[in-house]
Amino acid sequence: MLSVEGLKIRYGEVEAVRRVDLTVESGEILALVGANGAGKSSTLGAIAGLVRVAAGKVVFEGVDITGLAPEVVARKGVALVPEGRRIFASLTVADNLRLGGAVHQPAAEARLREEEMLELFPILRRYYRAKGGNLSGGEQQMLAIARALMGKPRMILLDEPSLGLAPQLIDTVFDLIAELRRKGMTILLVEQNVALALEIADRAVVLANGEVVLSGTAKELASSDLVRQAYLGA
Amino acid sequence: MFAQQIINAISLGGVYALLALGLAIVFSIVGLINFAHGELMTLSGYALLAALVFGLPFPLAVLVAVSCGALAAVAMERIAFRPMRGASVTSLLLTSFAVSSLLKVVFQNGISARPQAVAMPGWMTGAFSFGDFTIGVGPSISIVVSALALILLETFLRRSVTGTAMRAAAEDFDVVRLMGIPASRIIATAFLLSGLLAGLAAMLWVAQRASVDPLMGFTPVLKAFIAAVVGGLGSLPGAVAGGFLLGIIEVLLQATLPAAIAPYRDAIVLSGVIAVLLLRPQGLIPAVRVQRS
Ligand SMILES: Nc1ncnc2c1ncn2[C@@H]1O[C@H](COP(=O)(O)OP(=O)(O)OP(=O)(O)O)[C@@H](O)[C@H]1O
Ligand SMILES: [Mg+2]
Repeated sequence: MLSVEGLKIRYGEVEAVRRVDLTVESGEILALVGANGAGKSSTLGAIAGLVRVAAGKVVFEGVDITGLAPEVVARKGVALVPEGRRIFASLTVADNLRLGGAVHQPAAEARLREEEMLELFPILRRYYRAKGGNLSGGEQQMLAIARALMGKPRMILLDEPSLGLAPQLIDTVFDLIAELRRKGMTILLVEQNVALALEIADRAVVLANGEVVLSGTAKELASSDLVRQAYLGA
Repeated sequence: MFAQQIINAISLGGVYALLALGLAIVFSIVGLINFAHGELMTLSGYALLAALVFGLPFPLAVLVAVSCGALAAVAMERIAFRPMRGASVTSLLLTSFAVSSLLKVVFQNGISARPQAVAMPGWMTGAFSFGDFTIGVGPSISIVVSALALILLETFLRRSVTGTAMRAAAEDFDVVRLMGIPASRIIATAFLLSGLLAGLAAMLWVAQRASVDPLMGFTPVLKAFIAAVVGGLGSLPGAVAGGFLLGIIEVLLQATLPAAIAPYRDAIVLSGVIAVLLLRPQGLIPAVRVQRS
């Protein structure tokens, strides 16, 4: 469904991503893991059109989307839930959701979609009229995911959904991700919590210093020595 | 007399508020202080003059003039600023200076450096009387127009999708684009609104003075800029508060200062501005903007 070939990203002189190749098949969860600064967020940003691609190609559903503006990539059905959630703090939960679905469907459909999201995330119904900035970290993460889903994406890129959440909330978020997958969503998941990521993912790719150092099924990686030593603390 | 001063103060404050709001809307989205904002105002003034000279009825002439301000703002963005997308803020500032100077030269050489009289309808200069009070029609209309414009703008920003997206873009533009909302639509709307507000302000300004000149926009927009900074640059409620505050202080000082110190009015106002900024560097109502490393 998505393939990234020979991706290279530069910030000025710094080469943040040297060479990343990965593919995500329709309906699977691909986990992208690696240490801080490995280039995970940059890779997601490049797919979503937020980060300039220095070399390489991004192909979604057979269409070359390399270098397209973020709004164009979004309309093609790829949604990014960015690192740090970045919900609109001064807007209500309702307005955050509304923007998520604004351009992807007629207004009547957007209302139905919103109803689905409020079913899926009851907490958002409770705080429907509250400012996004007043929600807790976990609630904001739910809002960020719901906002992305409002646009009915076919693929979702999640950047560290567990960051800063209490363990119990992490479980809730991961249950939700598993639930989305069951419903057929294709997911590219960036996660620091490698154990959790490998539990939920079908396949995984390990990045180090902007390069793929390992990839395989989640099971294979969970039992590989490199991953166990470097990321699972075993 | 006092009632009349209050009305004048609110009316001037309203004009500053409209202008400051136009500057703030563009700043909140693009991060640019549009120095050519004053020329949008001047251009609308000349458009009104031209429309009246061509014999259009007054309300229609006003409509044409305000639309000209809005269209000119959109054209300015297309021609001057859009090709600079991604350029540094300094380059954008220089571009807006260049546009401003260019338009001034065009007005001076293409029309005239001297003020042109605008034939305002006679009823504009009339006055109502209530018992002892006499209140000018012009300033009263100015207050009503400013208030309506503020209410309409607020409704647009709260209710419409594009307005909501603009509030969101002031916080985090990239994420608005991730929602599939085109950057160009948001930016064009910001300029359109700023042009509409400049056009309206021009009508209110000309209504009080019945003339247009190439530098007409300079002073009010300078004041509006000060108002926007005092209010909190990029904050829309701040721009409105700053505009009214500045207008009211100016008129009240004008009315109460002894003749000997009256020429120092602007110096006194600016000292007040500096004092406010020392106490509240982010302005009276700071803008919300996401800080990212
Ligand atoms: N806007 C930027 N300007 C300059 N350098 C950047 C920028 N964004 C990221 N980098 C650098 O690029 C490298 C990769 O960053 P990236 O955010 O992609 O890593 P990451 O794998 O997501 O890390 P983390 O786990 O900390 O989120 C880092 O060295 C980072 O400092
Ligand atoms: Mg990251």
